[in-house]
Amino acid sequence: MNQLEIRDLWASIDGETILKGVNLVVPKGQVHALMGPNGAGKSTLGKILAGDPEYTVEKGDILLDGESILDLSPDERAKKGLFLAFQYPVEVPGVTIANFLRLALQAKLGREVGVAEFWTKVKKALELLDWDESYLSRYLNEGFSGGEKKRNEILQLLVLEPTYAVLDETDSGLDIDALKVVARGVNAMRGPNFGALVITHYQRLLNYIVPDRVHVMMDGRIVAEGGPELALELEARGYEWLRERVKEEA
Amino acid sequence: MQVLDKTQVEAISQALGEPGWVLERRLKALEAFARLPYPSKKDEAWRYTDLSEAPLEGEVETPKGLRLSRDELPELVKRRLEKTDVSGFLVFVGPDLVYAEVPEELLAKGLVLTSLAEALKAYPAKVEATLFQGVYTEDKFAAQNAAFFTHGAFLYVPAGLEVEKPLGVFKVLEGGKASAGRSLLFLEDNAKAAYIEEYLSSDLSPTLHLSATEMVLRPGARLRHAHVQTFGHGVWHFHRQRALLERDAVLNDLVVNLGGRYARSEVASELLGPGAESEMLGLYFGHGQQHFDHYTLQHHVEHHTRSDLLYKGAVKDEARAVFSGLIKLERGAQKTDAYQANRNLILSPTARVDSIPQLEIGANDVRCTHGSTTAPVDERQLFYLQSRGLSRSLAQELLVKAHLADVLTRIPLKALRAHLEAVIEEKVRI
Repeated sequence: MNQLEIRDLWASIDGETILKGVNLVVPKGQVHALMGPNGAGKSTLGKILAGDPEYTVEKGDILLDGESILDLSPDERAKKGLFLAFQYPVEVPGVTIANFLRLALQAKLGREVGVAEFWTKVKKALELLDWDESYLSRYLNEGFSGGEKKRNEILQLLVLEPTYAVLDETDSGLDIDALKVVARGVNAMRGPNFGALVITHYQRLLNYIVPDRVHVMMDGRIVAEGGPELALELEARGYEWLRERVKEEA
Repeated sequence: MQVLDKTQVEAISQALGEPGWVLERRLKALEAFARLPYPSKKDEAWRYTDLSEAPLEGEVETPKGLRLSRDELPELVKRRLEKTDVSGFLVFVGPDLVYAEVPEELLAKGLVLTSLAEALKAYPAKVEATLFQGVYTEDKFAAQNAAFFTHGAFLYVPAGLEVEKPLGVFKVLEGGKASAGRSLLFLEDNAKAAYIEEYLSSDLSPTLHLSATEMVLRPGARLRHAHVQTFGHGVWHFHRQRALLERDAVLNDLVVNLGGRYARSEVASELLGPGAESEMLGLYFGHGQQHFDHYTLQHHVEHHTRSDLLYKGAVKDEARAVFSGLIKLERGAQKTDAYQANRNLILSPTARVDSIPQLEIGANDVRCTHGSTTAPVDERQLFYLQSRGLSRSLAQELLVKAHLADVLTRIPLKALRAHLEAVIEEKVRI
């Protein structure tokens, strides 16, 4: 039961159904990729996993280590060990990264975190990401470039050490150097106690974060699954052939 | 029974042992008070304010001559004294100056910090030159204060004296009867000081509190002033202040409203000489049924003057706040810089803010901007913070503090800032 399981998930926003019966399992200890064309519902799935109140779940379930998290608020899900790296991290002027990150760590651990303990943790993460300490006193994402925002998401990932992470198009808008840094962060998390779902439109990121499995989403459901070679095939052939095949099967 | 009458004015003046000219001014103010009607929603400046539950016509408390040792001070004050920036201060309990502590070295240099009544005896000329210059009978409540005030603080900083550590006054309101007090701050040429007024009380039955602060800044004088109101429930607080800034004088002003049932702050800076500068900060956070009114005036009379106003607030529950700010430039006020911004955060659908920025420009070679925003708390920000494990209430608290941060960070008084942060935190959690 050590897995993130999405079971026949249907969800909508403003009356429009986006997810139409998603089934997907990410076992702990594995990194899976979720690919698919624009508008397939990949990002929606990420947000729903994190508990975005803008979406309505119509049907189905999300299970974390066998336990439904559907009725839990976003913060309760986070405390259970779920983490979403946002595609568009939100700017929060007036709140410094250091202050926020320490509060988040305290919430996660359910106890006070001393300054020394906090800094030890953060410094390690900063070094791995090749990031300057001065960022910590900046306001959360305010005025950050796209790359800085993504790096900040990975910083949070490394400090909060979730059991399951969903990375929503963390590669979009990144140059190759930033991409490598992000991949380094995610790969550092890999191990028997960490599972991840890496959402991406392109295969590029998967050169640096090699997935154990690849799922392909189209029109709100998973239409294909395979090993890392599936990502390469999609890169070479595009999504059209798959779309045709899905049509034929229907 | 008519209690707010001539007999009472005379009794107060006599009890305080005031000179004849003060009684005369009091009686003139009484005439204005009797003539002026209580404001109603028909008055433009009161259209958002409901005074129907205000304890307007009650008796004013009278001085009892109470004195206390530092140990005997009310707990509210003692707690504040543990963590305060001020090094010299007065404590008023009701109408009585119960305790004073002013560093000897400052007194030796000619600084005065005492009650108005004392100052009228010891330094009559200094008081006569300045009292009622800033605030007198501008409206019903100002007139009531001028006629019936029972206590006041007087700060005098002689020319050239720069006082590094802040001074201040703590006023504890006892409740029941109405209370009216004043502060008169008089800085001579190139003098420098910081002065914090703190208004405290426990939860009270409906009680009227009137305060007036007059600031006279002679050329080159620099004053940092804070008016901090953290009354308990039940208090109706009417505050009016006016600063007169002569050539090159600089005022850094802060008005804070966090407590009470109702608080109204009418705050004016008069830039009367070239080079005069006024920073005006405001901070408010209302909960429950609280209603805070802020009426501000940046009055540029002379050329080459500068004012910069930033009022930020938040409201939750059914609280209401009003900001009405006027930048007024006289014809001679060329080369003026005037800025005004009011930003509001609304935390509940039943809370409300009305923001009215206004400009009245009589000069053409000026730089002037004003802006106002009022918005609910950003659900995207809340979701982002929550997705990292912060509870909704903690996330809200963080966003309120973040919203108020740019005012807080402009307050260099560390202990005051920490105190305000603590009160804000408490209020978010209510």
